[in-house]
Amino acid sequence: MTIQYLFKKALLFIGSVLLLSLLVFTISRLAPSDPLQSYYGEQVEKMTVEEKARARERLGLDASIPVQYLRWAGSALRGDFGLSYKYKQPVTAVISQRMGNTLILGGLGFVLTFVLALGLGTLCAWFEDRWPDRLICRVGTFSSCIPEFWLSLVLILVFSVTLRWLPTSGAYSIGKAGDLEDRAAHLVLPLTVVVLSHLWYYAYMVRNKLLEEVRSDYVLLLRAKGLPRGRILLGHCLRSILPSYLGLMAISVPHILGGTYIVETVFSYPGIGRLSYESARYADYNLLMVLCMMTGILVILCSILGQVLSEKIDPRIRAAQDTGEVAL
Amino acid sequence: MSQLLEVNDLRVHIDSPSGVVQAVRGVSFSLAPGEVLGIVGESGCGKSMLCRAIMRLLPRSARIAAGSVTADGKDITGLSEREMGRLRGSLFSMVFQDPMTALNPTVTVGRQIAEAVLVHNPRLPRAKVRARVLELMGLVGIREPEVRADQYPCQFSGGMRQRAVMAIALANNPKILLADEPTTALDVTIQAQILDLLRRIQQQLGTATVLVSHDLGVVARAADRVAIMYAGKIVEIGTAEEIYHDPRHPYTWGLLAALPALARGKDHLQAIPGMPPALIDPPPGDAFAWRNEYALDIDYQQEPPMFQISDTHFAATWLLDPRAPKITRGGGANG
Repeated sequence: MTIQYLFKKALLFIGSVLLLSLLVFTISRLAPSDPLQSYYGEQVEKMTVEEKARARERLGLDASIPVQYLRWAGSALRGDFGLSYKYKQPVTAVISQRMGNTLILGGLGFVLTFVLALGLGTLCAWFEDRWPDRLICRVGTFSSCIPEFWLSLVLILVFSVTLRWLPTSGAYSIGKAGDLEDRAAHLVLPLTVVVLSHLWYYAYMVRNKLLEEVRSDYVLLLRAKGLPRGRILLGHCLRSILPSYLGLMAISVPHILGGTYIVETVFSYPGIGRLSYESARYADYNLLMVLCMMTGILVILCSILGQVLSEKIDPRIRAAQDTGEVAL
Repeated sequence: MSQLLEVNDLRVHIDSPSGVVQAVRGVSFSLAPGEVLGIVGESGCGKSMLCRAIMRLLPRSARIAAGSVTADGKDITGLSEREMGRLRGSLFSMVFQDPMTALNPTVTVGRQIAEAVLVHNPRLPRAKVRARVLELMGLVGIREPEVRADQYPCQFSGGMRQRAVMAIALANNPKILLADEPTTALDVTIQAQILDLLRRIQQQLGTATVLVSHDLGVVARAADRVAIMYAGKIVEIGTAEEIYHDPRHPYTWGLLAALPALARGKDHLQAIPGMPPALIDPPPGDAFAWRNEYALDIDYQQEPPMFQISDTHFAATWLLDPRAPKITRGGGANG
């Protein structure tokens, strides 16, 4: 880890964040929707042209896009992200109310997806080409083709409407915000959708990587020295793919996060995802910018983390760095 | 029974999209304790499949179609995978062709050797395992074993990796060592070192060894007896002396003539014309007939049996039939 290395990564990070903010800012302002609508609600229809122009001036929407961007960037750098047009509150306040909900759903979904995928993939590799593997592969391929919103609706229909076992939407029942059991009941369906819709994608990757590993030459030597199959698969093959799996996990954060956003919208789950959707729909520029920047920074950080992780864990790369030679 | 390993009419078939490949077509040989048997043949003649069939490490598409393997007086052909696992590493072990890929790149060399020790002695205390690992590394000529044990395979050169593979193979003092082209992937200078090491260890520990190679020169350096394989069969077998000084099969003549050392001073390297036959649908008669300048009519119709030349020397060629014209190596017909 030299200073040069850190500097390079930092430069990459700052460059990406800058580009992202510029793009989101420009595109959101070019999109055809009226921010005044979200600020004034139905009153907009009764406003005169002059009143509208004055309102625009007050909100700073009259300047050209580059000027608006510079103004926004200036105050953002000072820590002021502005007001949400819709909620008439500081953007940070609006977001912090919902942050926890998304972290619970996304975090749990992320961990569950990757733990289950590892288990399922290993199970398939163990039973390669025998009926458990084939069955799981068929069901997995089928399940991964089901769109999230449709799966959500079907689950709501079955478990909430027909069976009445679980609530249809929200993060908690009214007045029960602190009730853990109630929260858990609200989490079951969204979490199921998040996990189910991503699980097979990663499990299949684990399965195939393991099967590739099982066929490598070193496994032959392991078998020749008398190691039982289970220890070869778990102690060697799984271990060999773990570095790339960790890297994959880091890079997949946006994938799962995106899924969470859709699920939040369908289940009216009060989180960052639904907020993002609403802010884009109602042209709530300030809120949208911060949400996009948060998501974007998370994605960029995760991919850098993934890269660093696999460099740290893989002994081939590590050894090359230790001895100062470039291997591979 | 004094033989340590007996292979009897072993046949290995491989399922492929275009048909069943008969990789090994009825191979029989035996190995005495402490003996080195060299098996020589071209690429694709079934040498590796033979070794892997003995240890039952065949790829998924391959299977033992017929024959038996008796090791240490016990028929191991019908053993379950679990029982085979108990024998692998302890009764027999294997050294592979490519040391660059034979070790798990993500585990330290010391741990991989320790694992081989522990598989068959799970209760051995940690310190003793470590001592055994260092002892093994010393045995195969890895210097500074304390340091090297904690390094990863990528920090080892090819020759050193092959030494590490040998340390793994020898971890439990196996009675039989199958060395499948152990020097092919190495530099020539390293090849000699590894061969000498193999020979030294074999003498030191008395491990019976099957040394597979496509190079008669390599085998000459280490083997007591030599078997020549062609198209999935042993065509000639005898002591090293007999094979090098009194070869009887035309294929062996060709192999000997093709040794680059013998071409010194000549304009070109000698080669055997043609290619080995495809083993999906092997031709009737002698598989070598089409490349054999001395082939007789019967070679195209009927497979030659093994003719005995001496107590130890056998060859499968119709030229040894009393009715055949007398042909000697490189000479042509005389009589």
